[in-house]
Amino acid sequence: MRDLRKAFGGVRAVDGCSFAVPGGKISGLIGPNGSGKTTTFNLLTGVIRPDDGQVIYKGENITGLKPHQVFSKRITRTFQVTRIFREMTVLENMLSVTGLAVPDRLARERAAELIAFVNLTHLRAEYAGRLSYGQQKLLEFARALMTDPDLILLDEPAAGVNRTLLQHLLEQIHRLQEMGKTIVIVEHDMNVIMNHCERIFVMDYGVKIAEGPPAEIQQNEQVLEAYFGRRRS
Amino acid sequence: MKRHEHLRNLALLAVVGLVLAFASDALSVYMRSFVLFTMMYVVLALSWNIISGFTGYTSFGHVAFYGIGAYACAILVTDYGWHWVPTLGVAAAVAGVIAVAIGYPVLRLKGPYFAIAMLGAAEGTRVIATVWDSLTHGGLGISLPSADTSFQTYYAMLALMVVTVVVAYGVGHSRFGVRLNAIREDEGAAEALGVNATLYKLAAFVLSAIFPAAAGGIQAYKVLYIDPPSVFFVQITIAMALMSMLGGKGTVIGPIVGAVLLYTVQELTWVNFPTAHLIAYGLFIVVIARFMPRGLMGLAIDRGWVRKGMVH
Repeated sequence: MRDLRKAFGGVRAVDGCSFAVPGGKISGLIGPNGSGKTTTFNLLTGVIRPDDGQVIYKGENITGLKPHQVFSKRITRTFQVTRIFREMTVLENMLSVTGLAVPDRLARERAAELIAFVNLTHLRAEYAGRLSYGQQKLLEFARALMTDPDLILLDEPAAGVNRTLLQHLLEQIHRLQEMGKTIVIVEHDMNVIMNHCERIFVMDYGVKIAEGPPAEIQQNEQVLEAYFGRRRS
Repeated sequence: MKRHEHLRNLALLAVVGLVLAFASDALSVYMRSFVLFTMMYVVLALSWNIISGFTGYTSFGHVAFYGIGAYACAILVTDYGWHWVPTLGVAAAVAGVIAVAIGYPVLRLKGPYFAIAMLGAAEGTRVIATVWDSLTHGGLGISLPSADTSFQTYYAMLALMVVTVVVAYGVGHSRFGVRLNAIREDEGAAEALGVNATLYKLAAFVLSAIFPAAAGGIQAYKVLYIDPPSVFFVQITIAMALMSMLGGKGTVIGPIVGAVLLYTVQELTWVNFPTAHLIAYGLFIVVIARFMPRGLMGLAIDRGWVRKGMVH
């Protein structure tokens, strides 16, 4: 994406942000609260329109496309707070996804596979709203994979999730990357970011302040300053 | 649901349809009328449910489509000498077009705003009917040519009810229906999963408009006199909403059960206490909101008598 800008009234949430996400790798997007990470995701997926700038995906300008159109480009995302369909069963949640130009039976098979992938088979006829928080996160994750997307944007997948489940999720994420998919993770959990991402982008006040592999980022003065404040000598 | 379950349900519908068809002879004029009204409310409740129950856009102005249908039939029969049956097709088509015209702007509103906008739309349609008297005869109303329409309208309403049930069932057991539910649950998330919400909402809205319009047309031919206040009657919207909610908004059987139950109760109390049914409506609303927000079907699902969800 290039030079993205988005202001909400007087708040410049994203102010000239540019970066290129490497294909086929797991990247991280970090930054203090309010730095514009989720807004960036929203701009990328068409939830909001940028005031300025472009989003280019695989050579195609997808700026300003509506969310369902972005989805049809094989880009999916999950949300910071899970947005599963509470009054619908787990299976219905899976089948609500479009773009599956396949007969019902095949769609159900894929849904069943993915439900099994996240160990929710025993709950497939239960209302999604009755699942535990961790299970809901898994459901949202599985649901996002129904159409076998190429680019997966995960917004704080580790938030509120216990260590065991997190390990499980991370294993799945690595498996997806091995299959050739590109993954971008927004996270506050530094262990997750530093140990699992090949490239990290850091935002602060709506702009990118650093970019590079984990080792570099950990030493970067600007990044430390953004998180911890100016060093007092 | 497995295929044999769908066939079983279809067979059940066929049986009910046949029974109602053959019973028409055995019924008194009053009873025929009663059954006709019950069937009409089944059509209205099921239709309302498509936009309000499945899609979650609660409409307080659906009577507009009913009235449009009534007028379409009345005008074509009286002023243009049409046979009444084809006018029902026109009624449905006109309602569909108007649904798109109203729906495109109004479906952008959420929740209560949409409900009130629809209320406004219904009132607006009533006013237009009153004022545009070169088309609608205004406040004088339209008197259709005299005829014994009791049997014909009964069969027509029966046919309409069967069609509506089949369509509602189809919506309720298809991926289209699942996506409507998704829009209701979380429109933003649904869009993020590829659902073109604008298109789906509009489709649901049109579907919910065409059957009430046909019902309105049949009604016009039955009572042979219509005027704006009688067809654009807000109580009709309240009735469809209440029936749907009582039975279970968002299910297929719910509105059917709700319509039959509520209309029967209404008729029984009306005979003895002419305005008591209004109090009963109020009471029902309170009871439903407090004790069974998901209606009778919701209770049945909670007790485990009926499976959850549509897709298994």
